[in-house]
Amino acid sequence: MYRIRFHGRGGQGMKTASRILGTAFFLEGFEVQDAPRYGAERRGAPIFAYVRADRHPIRERGVIQRPDLVIVADDSLVPVPGAGVISGLDDHGILLINSEESADTWRHRLSIGSPILTVPDHSGDPAGQRFLGASCAGAAARLVGVISREHLIQAIGDEISALGTAAATASLVQANSDRALDAYEAMAAHAGCVSEGSGISAADYRSPDWVDLPSDPATVAAPAIHAGATSVEVRTGLWRTLRPVIDYSRCNHCWWVCSTFCPDGAIDVAADGEPRIDYDHCKGCMVCVAQCPPHAIEAISEQQAQRQETQAADRENSV
Amino acid sequence: MNHNPDSAGNPRFQRMKDLPSTHLLGTGTPMCSGCGGLAALHEIYDIIGDKSVFINAAGCMTLLSVYPFTPFRGSWLYTSMASAPAGAQGVRDALDILMQKRRMAASEDMEVVVLTGDGSAYGMGLSATSGAMERNLDFLYICYDNEGYGNTGQQTSGATPHGARTATNRGLSGFPGFKKDLFSIWAAHKPAYVATVIASEPLDLARKIDRALSLKGPRLIIALAPCPTGWEFEPQQSVDIGRMAVKTGAWPLKEYIDGEFVHTRIPRHRLPVEQYLQLQGRFKHLFEPRRNDVLINEIQDRIDRYWRNVSSG
Amino acid sequence: MSRSLLTGNGAAAWGARLALADYIPAFPITPQTEIIETLANWIDTEAMAARLVTLESEHSMITAAGAAAATGVRVFSATSSQGLLHGMEMIYTVAGWRAPFVLVNVSRGLASPITLEPDHNDVLAARDSGFLQIHCATCQEVLDSILMAYRLAENDRVRLPVMVNLDGFYLSFTREPVTLPDAKTAADFVGSYDPENIRFRASAPVSQAVAVLGGGPYSYFRYESHLAAESALEVYHQVADEFENLFGRRHEAIDSYRTDDAELVLVMLGSFATKAQQAVDQMRDAGQAVGLLRPRLMRPFPRQQFRQLLAGKKGVAVIDQNLSMGFGGILHGELASALYGQPEAPPILASFVAGLGGRDITGEEFFAMVEETRAAVASDQIPPPRLLYTQAELREVRKLQAVAQVERVELKQPQTVQGGQANES
Repeated sequence: MYRIRFHGRGGQGMKTASRILGTAFFLEGFEVQDAPRYGAERRGAPIFAYVRADRHPIRERGVIQRPDLVIVADDSLVPVPGAGVISGLDDHGILLINSEESADTWRHRLSIGSPILTVPDHSGDPAGQRFLGASCAGAAARLVGVISREHLIQAIGDEISALGTAAATASLVQANSDRALDAYEAMAAHAGCVSEGSGISAADYRSPDWVDLPSDPATVAAPAIHAGATSVEVRTGLWRTLRPVIDYSRCNHCWWVCSTFCPDGAIDVAADGEPRIDYDHCKGCMVCVAQCPPHAIEAISEQQAQRQETQAADRENSV
Repeated sequence: MNHNPDSAGNPRFQRMKDLPSTHLLGTGTPMCSGCGGLAALHEIYDIIGDKSVFINAAGCMTLLSVYPFTPFRGSWLYTSMASAPAGAQGVRDALDILMQKRRMAASEDMEVVVLTGDGSAYGMGLSATSGAMERNLDFLYICYDNEGYGNTGQQTSGATPHGARTATNRGLSGFPGFKKDLFSIWAAHKPAYVATVIASEPLDLARKIDRALSLKGPRLIIALAPCPTGWEFEPQQSVDIGRMAVKTGAWPLKEYIDGEFVHTRIPRHRLPVEQYLQLQGRFKHLFEPRRNDVLINEIQDRIDRYWRNVSSG
Repeated sequence: MSRSLLTGNGAAAWGARLALADYIPAFPITPQTEIIETLANWIDTEAMAARLVTLESEHSMITAAGAAAATGVRVFSATSSQGLLHGMEMIYTVAGWRAPFVLVNVSRGLASPITLEPDHNDVLAARDSGFLQIHCATCQEVLDSILMAYRLAENDRVRLPVMVNLDGFYLSFTREPVTLPDAKTAADFVGSYDPENIRFRASAPVSQAVAVLGGGPYSYFRYESHLAAESALEVYHQVADEFENLFGRRHEAIDSYRTDDAELVLVMLGSFATKAQQAVDQMRDAGQAVGLLRPRLMRPFPRQQFRQLLAGKKGVAVIDQNLSMGFGGILHGELASALYGQPEAPPILASFVAGLGGRDITGEEFFAMVEETRAAVASDQIPPPRLLYTQAELREVRKLQAVAQVERVELKQPQTVQGGQANES
């Protein structure tokens, strides 16, 4: 059985990616199971979707524990523990990262046994972002090596038109197909490198470390939070794909506009009258950019900003 | 159904003599003797007729149909306290679907009528009523309002008037809150028709029901229901108390139609409200052992203020 | 017939469409909403000749569903979790009207604490209502069961509403290959709805759902509903035969997997049972005589069939994805009552509570449950009920409690227990 996981952010098309790949497998005659995994998360938050494909009916369910292939649409998610990108990856599973950086850099950074591949990302290209799902599906289709171009294209046609919006025109299908084929070709050298993982054995398995739940008093065991504003421990800055940056030379120290209109209250004005953006919590909505009277706030790509930061850190480490 | 004006354009009910003299609603129901709600219902049923299905909510009138007895010559469905308008939605939609798909002749169609007490109408059922109006459901809603949870022994409801003593407000000043203005709440939804009626004014009642039947969409009627058991008076006084409610201005008779509010009866010389209150045991504490002028005046003031707005408006 | 990838929700919508439902009272709730959105879209584009009305609550939705069914149209509706509970007064009420319709429940755990993820406490809260219950393990079964449910509900010996249950996320949002019956065959199978004397017509007045005075008539009407539910078992078998003849798929009241020569048998409801099937194969590969029973019918409860299928087995592990506070697993209790006093009943009936609020059950955990049951058989001691819960999960909760600033007076640290060695608390 093939077990494949797609990681990205809400809005980056990971559900579409899993459906395109699932349908492509199905068209190749595989039994298939695909599903997105999301709960209360919102646009920008890490989500994942998965595909199982086998020649026999699939009875395994739920989250994939030991993937054969993990595809990451957004490389800024890789180091985020909560995103669970590398969860269950061992030397069997392949990690494909959509990234400007080299596989070597990632190998060095992650120190995991799993083979790592990269494809150039489209973060600088807003059009590329729209078709990330199709790109990821195209790359995965080539890496498993059992999906033909024709079935990939047919799957894209099925899935993009099934989105059912007025925008689902032939040109949209075409644009998605082009991106998927680009990724499919880009992976030619690694075609078929993904292999089907094996199941577990009842003769030799690791016992679950079950515990007896202690009977705690209701003061402990009721689902109550006994403090205010504990939500600040949630780093919603991870949702951001665009980063607002203040140009203090243009800031007119109005003291209130960006700070008041920031929906998350992630901008405070310091005693000196200068606003400071709390990047741990800024979700990247860009309301501040839109509202700032002297246009002193600029939106830059979060990925580029992070890459520059990481490279600077890497340089420092190597010195 | 014969509720439209005749060919000459005359309303069907012009004089008392136009009112039906034989009655459709069966006798033998377990309602209290002297029940002002039952009186209103039987007058209303004469106008609606038996081509109707009544959707009932928990309340006194749930007991109209106790197996195997029913006073209705048409149909009836008991739902729950909160959801009678939703039951009307299901029945109305189903009848429409059946006619649309030609599985039922149009002659089998019926008027869908919700019947609830004030406990449901003013409280638990308000959300379902609001929803039905939003969806522009074609139905008639009859609320018999006896100003308390009568079926359980007259506890305070959303319709209980200021100062009334109830099973849950037994103190010297009775219920400290105020009767909710359900007429305005309903009218704020801009339905086809809203009206207040009372059994003691049968001609006014008949005209309003007739008018409601000539319209499509949500049509809602509140019938004040003098209640011998809950209001503490002798059954024989039921009609007199109803008349007094109108003469003192405590129960304004009015309608909302085509976006307009119309009072169908403006008492020229309004009697003091205490003449209405004195007849009822639930207000006895306003007069005995000592007269509570503060509270009586407060009740009178609110009525005066209401009518001042009517005459000035 | 065509085969395509459908989510459980998509399959449910197809079930309603192929059953030619006339009327769909609706109210959104996760993870069910996709069903009503799909149906609404089909109705808007005239792919389906039905009327969908969004009510203002599930309480009203169930009322409208029952009222429309009582007027003589074919009704479909869907809900989940808190929605089912909000409508619960009407679930009981409309079942007593003896007006048939089909309600899909997409299982989701109940508050408190509130969650979006699945377990079976919602649908089992409706266990005693008079609705029949069919529980599904695959998306295909969701579609097939809805068609079968109409036959069951509308059968003149039954005349009760039927609930078709599927697990949130694990089926609702998961695509699997589903064979779509062709519309004509499905319509022939379901047939047209003849409400007989259950309908409102101007020419034939009915007073429906009236009050009774006294326990005599009350008991009569209630017990008649029970007898109708019981007779649904026999009707179910006929419907399943006919379904198999037309569509080639057999859906038993209890799905039995490799139990013939099994010594130990797992019993569980819903979609996690396919994982159990896989575990059974893996245990068979390791030479263990293990099988699986999955009741599809929870109401009526197929007790006679359970007795037959479990006769002579050494041990049974019941896995409940539900929890009755102060009692334990509900299916375990029901099965115990069915087996009590049967001469060949298995001596060991172990109880496991697992999968609450979407908590996964791993393959290894199926092995471990069987191992505990085997140890119980060897020692002839019924083991105490067990919640499947790991050391790591408890550690994680302790971390959350630290953030919540719970008074950590004496938070007990987790202690690992050996399989089969748990202490009864």
